[in-house]
Amino acid sequence: MNSILIKNITKRYKGVTALDNVSFSFEYGKIYGFLGRNGAGKSTLINIMANRIFADEGEVVIDQVSAKENMEVHEKIFCMSEVDLYDTSLKIKDQFKWISRFYDSFDIEKAFDISRKFNLDTNKRFKALSKGYQSIFKLTAALALNVPYIVFDEPVLGLDVNHRELFYDLLLKDYENNERTIIIATHLIEEIANIIEEVVLIDKGKVLLQESVDTLLGTGYCVSGPEQEVVSYCRDKNVIGNDELGNLKLAYILGEKSPLPHGSHLQITAMNLQKLFVKLTEKGGN
Amino acid sequence: MGKLKEAIRYECSTSFKYIWYFYAIQYAIVALIYAILSISTGSTERLGVSCLETNTFIYVGIVSILGMTEDFKMLIQNGFMRKYIFISTVSLFVFMSGIMALFDTAAGNILRHIVYGYTTLFGSIYGYDNIFISWLWLFLLYMFICVLLYLAILVIYKIGKTLSICLGVALGGTVLLITAVFQYVLSNEAVNKIIETAAKAMGFMPDGTIIYLFPVLTLLLFVVVLGIGSYAVIRRIELKS
Repeated sequence: MNSILIKNITKRYKGVTALDNVSFSFEYGKIYGFLGRNGAGKSTLINIMANRIFADEGEVVIDQVSAKENMEVHEKIFCMSEVDLYDTSLKIKDQFKWISRFYDSFDIEKAFDISRKFNLDTNKRFKALSKGYQSIFKLTAALALNVPYIVFDEPVLGLDVNHRELFYDLLLKDYENNERTIIIATHLIEEIANIIEEVVLIDKGKVLLQESVDTLLGTGYCVSGPEQEVVSYCRDKNVIGNDELGNLKLAYILGEKSPLPHGSHLQITAMNLQKLFVKLTEKGGN
Repeated sequence: MGKLKEAIRYECSTSFKYIWYFYAIQYAIVALIYAILSISTGSTERLGVSCLETNTFIYVGIVSILGMTEDFKMLIQNGFMRKYIFISTVSLFVFMSGIMALFDTAAGNILRHIVYGYTTLFGSIYGYDNIFISWLWLFLLYMFICVLLYLAILVIYKIGKTLSICLGVALGGTVLLITAVFQYVLSNEAVNKIIETAAKAMGFMPDGTIIYLFPVLTLLLFVVVLGIGSYAVIRRIELKS
């Protein structure tokens, strides 16, 4: 099966283990949310996938081909990075020209078309663009590339809400017309909650969970009410976090819902993806 | 191989126009000095400028450093592996050194006929008998500067600021140590032998003749060794955020 296979990846930086024996896979044809707190190891893993840094142990395999220093994967994966790696002195139209020479699958007409939609001035040099428009250029380049695996690392950094909406629209339309794997690493979880199909949550260099969004939202819920009743209800359940609101206690649970006891003052509400993320990474989960 | 060709094309074509900007600025400054001297002294006999090739050292040095800091990032963003990045960067060095050595050899030999007292770098060392060797020597000298600085910037990038400073101090110490060894440890005979060998490597034979092939081979050897060193380092280079 076609996929990006992350096999036992470990990466250490001067005594800090950024990734600790991480193994999972991004399957072909899905939109993933790659989530984690600052310093969780997201960018490290993306950089290893893109060959920008090397793993100390383990390997990345893309469609059965090792990704390490291998031009065979050149037309398979593209990583839009949070940091600016492009030639800052080149005009945007020239950047497109060079990317079209570097990649057979780059659709230069599509790149100019997307630029027009974002009002990106292609006659400007990269360094003359605002931070937001630099992000727009980078995501335009990624969207115009027809490779099977696209990774967006903080794609909407510096973008206003209109441009963020436009990006999500374009992304979905592109995915409808051309199914492939899209991996989005972002902190704006609620914005991508309706787009992504599956979540990979990474924390402190380890994969905390990999689950479909539907399953996660179906199994994550919040119980609120008087403390004693909440504690009693939560017994034998996977509680991933608690909050207190005056006399009320809120417990965040992952797992099967059981019916509320007769006459209880408890309330069950749905838990959104962002709250789930916060609670899982706050405590680590189990 | 098509991708490699495009990477080489990117390296060369994005640097090409700056070569001519550099020469335009350089010769504009020379013309200005010439004009000021002519007006202030009323004479054009002595321009006071020679060996303009040394300015090219600075230019090729800057391009070599940018080869790591800028082009590496651009090519790695576009999915190129380090081997391709290295080959394309060395191709840029060959392209740039070849063109600039050609221009400097031609310009130097024209200038020495029209400007009184002007000498070229090669001419001041070896004379003006062989223009092809003059170009080849200058080309290899530029290549040597390119790969030396490229290796240096790769090592600095790889080991970081603190270790680079320590390495710099160690290198400085080594130079002092070698000087001391030459002065106080080695016998006069041994020192003379080393100087004679170094002179031979530069083409100066004990009988006073000059063999142009030797400095060419010496520079070529340095370029190859430094190039191999650069490749060994770039293979392990990781992008720093």
